[in-house]
Amino acid sequence: MFTKYLSDQPRVGLGGAGALSHVYIQHPSLKCSIPESKGVYYDDGNKLLLLATSDQVFSWDTSPSAPLNNTPGCDSINEGPVVCIRYSLDGKIIGIQRSNKEIEFKIRETGEIFTRRCKSESESILGFFWTDCPTCDIVLIKTSGLELLSCEADLKTLRSVEMKRLNVSWYMYTHESRLVLLSSGMQCKTFSGFQFSSGGIIRLPKFEMAMTKADVNQKPVLAAEDIHIVTVYGRIYCLQVDSLGMMAHLYRFYRDAVVQQGSLPIYSAKIAVSVVDNVLLVHQVDAKVVILYDIFACSQAPISAPLPLLLRGDLKRKDTSSHLVNVKKAEASCQEEIMYGDGWIFLVPDLIFDTLHGTLWRIHLDLEAIAASNSEAPFILEFLQHRRLEPSKVKQLCLTIMRTMILERRPVTMVSMAMDVLVASYSQYAKTGASHQGVSTTVSDSSRVVVEEPANQVETHGKSVIQEPDIEPSNPHKESSISDSDEATTTDIQNDNSGEHHNMGAREVVNQMGAGVSTVGDVETSALQSETVVNNNISEVASAAISPDEMFFFVFAIVEEEMASDPSYLVAIIIEYFQSVTLERLRVHPNLHVMTVQLLSRSERYPELGFFVINKIVEPSREVALQLLDSGRHNFQTRKLALDMLRQLGLHHDYILLLVQDGYYLEALRYARKNKVDTIRPSVFLEAALSSKNPQHLAAVLRCLSDFIPSFRSTPDYTSYSRVLKEIC
Amino acid sequence: MGLSTATASSEGIEICIFDLRRGQQEGQELDKILFFFPADCPFTLQLSVIGLSEGLITFTRIFSPDAACDVIDAERHSHIFYQAEPDIWMVMVVEKNKELEHKYLTAALQAFLKEVHSLFVMFHGSIRALLEKQPGGELARSHLYSFIMDYLTDFLVGKKLQLPSFRDCLKERSTVQMLTVGREMAIEIQSLVRVIESSCAGTSGCHSVVLFQDLLVSTTLPSDDTANLFTYAVLRMTPHALSSSTNSWSYLHKGSTTSHASTGPIFPNAELASEDYRHTSRDTSPGGQVQRHHLPRPLQRNKWSKAKDGFLVTDIWSGEIGSLVSASPTVWMKQIEERMVFCVYQYKNLTIIILLPVSSLVNQEQGITLMKQQFLENASQKIFRIEEKLSKGWGGENTYHISGYRYLLYDSHRCVSRASPPGKVATLAKDSLRALSKLRGEVDIEKSRAKRDDTSHEKDLEVCIRANNNSWVIARITRGKELYMVLEKARETLLYASEAMERFSDRYCNGAFSLD
Repeated sequence: MFTKYLSDQPRVGLGGAGALSHVYIQHPSLKCSIPESKGVYYDDGNKLLLLATSDQVFSWDTSPSAPLNNTPGCDSINEGPVVCIRYSLDGKIIGIQRSNKEIEFKIRETGEIFTRRCKSESESILGFFWTDCPTCDIVLIKTSGLELLSCEADLKTLRSVEMKRLNVSWYMYTHESRLVLLSSGMQCKTFSGFQFSSGGIIRLPKFEMAMTKADVNQKPVLAAEDIHIVTVYGRIYCLQVDSLGMMAHLYRFYRDAVVQQGSLPIYSAKIAVSVVDNVLLVHQVDAKVVILYDIFACSQAPISAPLPLLLRGDLKRKDTSSHLVNVKKAEASCQEEIMYGDGWIFLVPDLIFDTLHGTLWRIHLDLEAIAASNSEAPFILEFLQHRRLEPSKVKQLCLTIMRTMILERRPVTMVSMAMDVLVASYSQYAKTGASHQGVSTTVSDSSRVVVEEPANQVETHGKSVIQEPDIEPSNPHKESSISDSDEATTTDIQNDNSGEHHNMGAREVVNQMGAGVSTVGDVETSALQSETVVNNNISEVASAAISPDEMFFFVFAIVEEEMASDPSYLVAIIIEYFQSVTLERLRVHPNLHVMTVQLLSRSERYPELGFFVINKIVEPSREVALQLLDSGRHNFQTRKLALDMLRQLGLHHDYILLLVQDGYYLEALRYARKNKVDTIRPSVFLEAALSSKNPQHLAAVLRCLSDFIPSFRSTPDYTSYSRVLKEIC
Repeated sequence: MGLSTATASSEGIEICIFDLRRGQQEGQELDKILFFFPADCPFTLQLSVIGLSEGLITFTRIFSPDAACDVIDAERHSHIFYQAEPDIWMVMVVEKNKELEHKYLTAALQAFLKEVHSLFVMFHGSIRALLEKQPGGELARSHLYSFIMDYLTDFLVGKKLQLPSFRDCLKERSTVQMLTVGREMAIEIQSLVRVIESSCAGTSGCHSVVLFQDLLVSTTLPSDDTANLFTYAVLRMTPHALSSSTNSWSYLHKGSTTSHASTGPIFPNAELASEDYRHTSRDTSPGGQVQRHHLPRPLQRNKWSKAKDGFLVTDIWSGEIGSLVSASPTVWMKQIEERMVFCVYQYKNLTIIILLPVSSLVNQEQGITLMKQQFLENASQKIFRIEEKLSKGWGGENTYHISGYRYLLYDSHRCVSRASPPGKVATLAKDSLRALSKLRGEVDIEKSRAKRDDTSHEKDLEVCIRANNNSWVIARITRGKELYMVLEKARETLLYASEAMERFSDRYCNGAFSLD
């Protein structure tokens, strides 16, 4: 099964892709170039890359679900200077900032145009963005403050809703975070922040950023390029690059506070920041390397050493394989050329646009490579479990890591930690339900998470956009509530399913019981059946969380085959697994109990086996009881445990047959009478009594049966055994 | 106390061990005596006791070659027989008084003899082996003497030996008492057991036994070995045993008398006595003198103490008295057939015994030091956590009291028993206890009869008796599990009594006794 997995998904393995890099851009890229383009703009609200010519604007959808090589949308605009272009969130209006005094709005359907101009001479417009907050549609950032405008498209007018007055030197906004940071002061290091979320407007407390001074008299000025708003795990951070101190400071935004959360060292004067699957990528542009951080926990340690960004895929695809060497050379040189070129601009959150070549790249994480580069398995597993983009790949990787750890006999404590990570992750998944995955899994202080909330909604909202591309992103609040209820139902359904699974399993077992006391064989077949079920499921996973069932089939069942010689290590691992599963109030797969019994009895550790059964570490079940019986062939005690277990489980049929088999047919008969078991043929008792050659007992059995089975006297059993009895006497 | 219990002064009780294969020639009869208590008893008397016993054994063997005799009741004395090893017999002669209930006491006193012997074998190996090692018998004699004398000190009340009486009928000697834990705790404990195992890396076949207070928490040993080690641990090593011994130690030192002196009349200084004993048995070999100093006395009191690192230390096994280098104690595990070094670690109420096979230790001293080091490194955290949780959940000595019932649950296969706490048993009327004691005696006879008939088939048995004082006395046996109980203040009908038993069985024994 192990090998089958590898062949199914050849890319999944700890080897990685071979090259030394953790992050790559994949060829082919999206070609976005127009010969006569005059400017490139990125509308992050709609994830559109915009190229403007003198009278037209071309737009490329850059959302991950958009097809490659899609033809750009095109809108005509009036000629004139362009500072910035942003489409309204419903896509009906194009907003074009013409100068620092004027913004032009064009209704796409009708082509009507209206403008907004700066009234006062002293102020100028720094920029604008569309918002989905309930009170306004457009926010203008002016040197004198923020102006909130409400757009009445039919009337072709903008109504000023509110004016927030403050001095602004420059601003920074990302639609992802809905957060606008306004810089002010001599050094531009004093910040005010507003979040325009669907829940309303939140004003953040004013705060200052720290800067290293070159010398006493010189006061450095903070530039907009040095500030990056980072959204990971639904939390909002700000990364401030201090190129003098060669540090990047990380601030986290809460509703009522801005808290500095440590600093990251930098190795380049120019820094770019991307976020891929909640991993923070800090590009050291001059050094042409990228460092990865997972700021889920408080630790600021990078995931691994700085490594270059890799270009994957064949640049000259049409070339035949005979030119392979040349192609490789070309590729290498190409890569040199392209990587961190001067024309690169980094778009939020994970895009790179190469203005020189007109290509748009999406950054990907090479999870295999990351997993392979670090031997701290618990750490890597935790990292992997937090990744959401490729759940099935993550799942395969985690299972492989787990298996490898056990097969390599890593210290039990380390394996235990690794399993804790997986179990905790699954438990979290099971509790919160399937579609909350993107959301932060840590429980932060409830009074402080409010700023995060809208961003969470954005994410869920983002998901529904992926599912239904046509949907209007105007009312995310409503949407998220809908998807919430959907989640609830889906999880319910899942739970029901799993419950049914177990029931079905039990029913199967009950059906198979008809055959009487059977060997362990049928336990294994039922295991196989559920295995296929799990197999089917694993291909369509929505989450990387590994359930106890998967843990059994894809880890324990596989390693058990390969570790048959020395079971004690595996037993230790299983105990640790029991422990972490119990802590999370989950249940392991029933067959793991059977396996535990097998392992213990194989190494003849019967005293311990007794402890396991008596203390119910091994949960009682028919399968376990049958395995105990099997193991009990060499150990009377163990056989007894099996009998007790059957009795306690109320599996009367099995229990009685075993009693008869052991020669306790009178006791069995008594037991059958007491528990009203009528599934056992009378001849079973009669044969047993006959074989004991005790006429008294045979007579007693006959009498008992004829007393308690109404029609027994008329059966052939009765007549034949009565005759036999007479003959003996 | 003296009135109601089967007390015996040194005059009232005699214990002897003899070997039927020795001293068969006229004039060499003394040679067969391996042990006699009291030691100061004249040889003529010793020989007459042993002669009688030997005669009885020989006679009964005619009828039952495999199991000669259990007990012979004379008018004033009872002889209780226990064949410890082939042809090596232990006989106890007790003076009868009207308090004695012989039928139960036969089994109880046999269990007493059996326990001494099992413990002896665990530490010193079989008597036969000792005799073979030194055919003169001095080695075996001196070992037996000091060992049994040390064992008997535990039964000393004042100046009298207090042997098992009918009051102990809700107890089963040499069994293990277990702590009941929940699944979560059990897993945690097993996890600790694995850590202990991994600390002995490099030595295969190591074992561990974990106790909480005087109760067993976990074992990897087979049941008999566990029972023996458990018995010893409870006698000498658990926190309870340690504290009681240190108390008496300080008390004794205050009074500037030695423990031997205080037990003077019955136990003359053991060291001295063994010397005397050797002389009386005509030991002239100079080797015996040297042997004396190396004689380990594992049952000697006040010999274990806790060292700074948490391990218990003792000088019992050290070569010279007072020498700093203490040799590691070893025990013979008869079921796994291996001699093992054992180390004992104690943290508050938790006692952990780690056993390493002598055969797999190349360098014993070094191996143990290494193991201890790894153990402390890996297990301390877990031990701390487990001890804390167990102590928190521990309900005190009456944890296993079930109101309305006075009971004994005994699993003969696993050597495990559980009983009402002694304080609660003491509230029973003498009549109830005597009735139960009598019943147990009957049950024992029935059991051994059934065993003789068919060894493979275990018999079920149920007896409910209304005693003189209107209490119900119940015995129930199903397939190796035994339940004895006394119900006082119960209602009159038999139905009530048997229902009460049924309820008990369903609630506390997983229905093991409610088969019909």
